[in-house]
Amino acid sequence: MNQTEKDFYDGEYMPQMNRIGKITGFAGVILCFCPALALAVVYGLLPQPAALVTAVVAGAASFGALWFVEPISYFPVLGTVGTYMAFLSGNISNMRVPCASVAQAAAGVEPGSPKASVIATLGMAVSIVMNISILTVGVILGSSVLSMLPAAVTEALSYLLPSLFGALLVQFAMKKIRLGVVVLLFGILIYLAINGGLFAWLPGASNYLPVLGCIFFSIAVAMLTVDKGKEGEKK
Amino acid sequence: MSVSELQNSGVMWVACGIPVVLVLVQAIVFARKAYQAGPKLGLTQEQMRAGMRSSAITAIGPSVVILSGMLSLLVTMGGPVAWMRLSLIGSVMFESLAAGFGTASVGVELGSEQMNELAYTMGLWTMILCSVGWVIFATISANQMDKIQKRVTGSNPARLAALSAAAVIGAFASFCAQNLVKVNKSSIAVILGGAIMWLMMTICEKKQVKWLRDWGLTIAILGSMIITALLPL
Repeated sequence: MNQTEKDFYDGEYMPQMNRIGKITGFAGVILCFCPALALAVVYGLLPQPAALVTAVVAGAASFGALWFVEPISYFPVLGTVGTYMAFLSGNISNMRVPCASVAQAAAGVEPGSPKASVIATLGMAVSIVMNISILTVGVILGSSVLSMLPAAVTEALSYLLPSLFGALLVQFAMKKIRLGVVVLLFGILIYLAINGGLFAWLPGASNYLPVLGCIFFSIAVAMLTVDKGKEGEKK
Repeated sequence: MSVSELQNSGVMWVACGIPVVLVLVQAIVFARKAYQAGPKLGLTQEQMRAGMRSSAITAIGPSVVILSGMLSLLVTMGGPVAWMRLSLIGSVMFESLAAGFGTASVGVELGSEQMNELAYTMGLWTMILCSVGWVIFATISANQMDKIQKRVTGSNPARLAALSAAAVIGAFASFCAQNLVKVNKSSIAVILGGAIMWLMMTICEKKQVKWLRDWGLTIAILGSMIITALLPL
């Protein structure tokens, strides 16, 4: 990347994207209360405050840690713009991360570079439009049509994401086989430890510990090997 | 008006549509800026189109899975809320859980006959309040974390590339491990998906089959999914 490109990216592009991200992000926080306000204003339906506190505390206790851990865990994967987009649109592990990384691979850009950030943004935007379009068609068809799906199809669909994850791990770890194998084993160990009750003292650990652990373990291994004459890059 | 009529009323469709439109607007604004910036950063039109095409193909499968997961939410919380919650912030894993906490706080089990207007209101408020945490923290911290990452990599492109590549491997490794430790058909799907993808990539590289680069992943996913489903276990 030459100096002009760097100046444009750091001085013009990113500040603009940050501004858009903050405005739309906070607008999202406010606008997602629209249906709740509609219930209150149009139908006069209000929540019971005490019961609501109980419910939200229950929710926060079971997955509140994810509010902080997920943006941190996925940041090295999604980048700045990707973080704004992925957390407003949701469905991160099953949709945004696969689409952003596949787009980068198809465009042949170096991970972490400004080019990669642009491609990830384009890829993620496409996945958001696709996701919302398909959901919209589905919701218009309604539950009567959706429930007509044969049980065999529903069962097969439950294997789609595991197949996707297996395929993507191979795609991205093929040039870094040693790193891929080591991190996969590390991930299996974490899950075995969680299932064995080793992290019982950490509430909701199974929701965030493996992703957090694997991503940062993988980064740590890569950072240690990248300095040693790029050992991890060779095979 | 029955609860079901309330849940699927025109008012609710409009009120739920507003945030959905915002998500689309954000995606389109970001994409336009990125598309304009691409050439200035040395990207070709072909690269940008290739990225978008691959993403579109990849998005189909997971979207259908989300759709099939939406079914339960559609029945319990109505069309508009299910549509909104899975287009915005939500993830299929947590939405039913949050709605359940909301209805339970007024003594109604989600999906039961006792569902009433109050329980619906509680469920909706709980889903919203339990999901804004993600957006608030992510929106505040996105550019701060970039500074931390720059410090870790010392703004060295080689280190940054290694870090990003490793992060992607870490993410997929953990998603795979989650299914592998189940030791059931999902574990087989992970292995089959990986094996077919390996085959596709090897063929692609050796024979230079261009269309395989776009469709290899889809073939691996569909192949693995269908074989796994047909396995007599």
